[in-house]
Amino acid sequence: MNKDASTTLVVEDIHKSFGTVEVLRGISLTAKEHDVISILGASGSGKSTFLRCINLLEMPTSGRIHLHGDHIEIVKDRRGNSRPKDLRQVEHMRSKLGMVFQQFNLWTHMTVLENVMEGPITVLKQPRVEVRERAEAMLDRVGLSERSNYYPSALSGGQQQRVAIARALCMEPDVMLFDEPTSALDPELVGEVLQVMRRLAEEGRTMIVVTHEMGFARDVSNEVVFLHKGKIEEQGPPQALFKEQKSERFRQFLSKVR
Amino acid sequence: MAFFEVLITYWPRLLHGLGLTLLLTGLSAVLAGAISLPLAIFRTQASASAQLPLRTYISFMRGTPLLGQLFLIYYGSGQFRAELQSIGLWGFFRDPFNCAVLAFTLNSIAYQIEILRGGLMGAPTGQIEAARAIGMSTLQTYTRVILPHAYRIAQPALGNEIILLMEGSAVASVITIFDLMGETKTVFAKTFDFSIYLWAAIIYLVITGLFVRGWRYLEKLLNPHLAGHAPAEAPHPVMGMR
Repeated sequence: MNKDASTTLVVEDIHKSFGTVEVLRGISLTAKEHDVISILGASGSGKSTFLRCINLLEMPTSGRIHLHGDHIEIVKDRRGNSRPKDLRQVEHMRSKLGMVFQQFNLWTHMTVLENVMEGPITVLKQPRVEVRERAEAMLDRVGLSERSNYYPSALSGGQQQRVAIARALCMEPDVMLFDEPTSALDPELVGEVLQVMRRLAEEGRTMIVVTHEMGFARDVSNEVVFLHKGKIEEQGPPQALFKEQKSERFRQFLSKVR
Repeated sequence: MAFFEVLITYWPRLLHGLGLTLLLTGLSAVLAGAISLPLAIFRTQASASAQLPLRTYISFMRGTPLLGQLFLIYYGSGQFRAELQSIGLWGFFRDPFNCAVLAFTLNSIAYQIEILRGGLMGAPTGQIEAARAIGMSTLQTYTRVILPHAYRIAQPALGNEIILLMEGSAVASVITIFDLMGETKTVFAKTFDFSIYLWAAIIYLVITGLFVRGWRYLEKLLNPHLAGHAPAEAPHPVMGMR
């Protein structure tokens, strides 16, 4: 494993099976500080599953994950089920990985501001006054400070997703994970979310983004990973990858989505 | 006006009975509510084989009459007087009020487990994932996300269960408890005036009505996020279908 000082997240040899179907067949990925990595792939290639394995929402069958001080190892229990060696450590690591979901998943019984404040108060045990100030700043950054006291059901999809981003940011995470953040949005709302994500990239946030937005992958990320059938089929800087593809499958994929 | 005379003469007895009915119902409902939550969580988490005893219990409680369960506890415990005395529990079982609270609690637990289980399973998966993804422990995920949703979903059915429990509590009168029904029966035995039963019915009705009002108010109070944002002319998808 690369012990480079700027190395933030290292994911090693992730395998994942659902029953007898092997969805991920050994994927490794390293994110350095300020990296923006786009993960592309056709439906069923395992890209969302891979992202969800990084914060263990999906339990990998085997593999290792390192995030700064946290080292997550997957072990087998007596029944042969995979589980993390230390659950506390998993919770700690999750608090440093900001996750943004396709379906936003805001807590509908809390206001926008409460959604953003919840993590730092409940998980990080930070003082309410301090969190409130930061949460308001985060909402301001995603352009939603006027909606603080609304409930999520009163917001558009794009607004909800921006709140979800603010919620993740308020935890001051080391890495942001995006799971197809614009796929559930009406076409005219995609732009506002992408704009927020672009700004985060410009600020130097470390981001891993599963996406179908080729424009974002090409213009914003500094590394593109193409998954096919649970393996990395092609990987590299977008300038090179979008110009010329070694893999026939990646070429076909690009010709379909472009 | 014999109809009012009986009430004017005997209202203190009815009031006393009502107090006991409310105490019986309230105590049983709260006890059952507290006990059924962990069991309902167990019911959603444990393996089918581990759940077997609990499911048998639920089937028994829901499959036999409340009156039978009350008899089983009140008269049944009498059969084991010596044993109960030796472990110091006879004092508890010889009081019919205790037996009634125990029977109603045990009965209501079974129903409340199933109601809560429905609520727990209805908590939105995505929001639970969001809680886990932000680093919440299992306990925090329950208290902050799952339970608020579970109780919102379960609340109307829980209210129903409490009403049924109160109406059902009238069976306590057969084991010498002077609840509302017990008092009504004694008044009738004295006066042979049938209208006392009508008064009792009216009291039950009024209490239920007040409870429904209060419960609905509580529902609104606990769920400000459900106060419609939709334009007023849009009918609720279910309410609109008349």
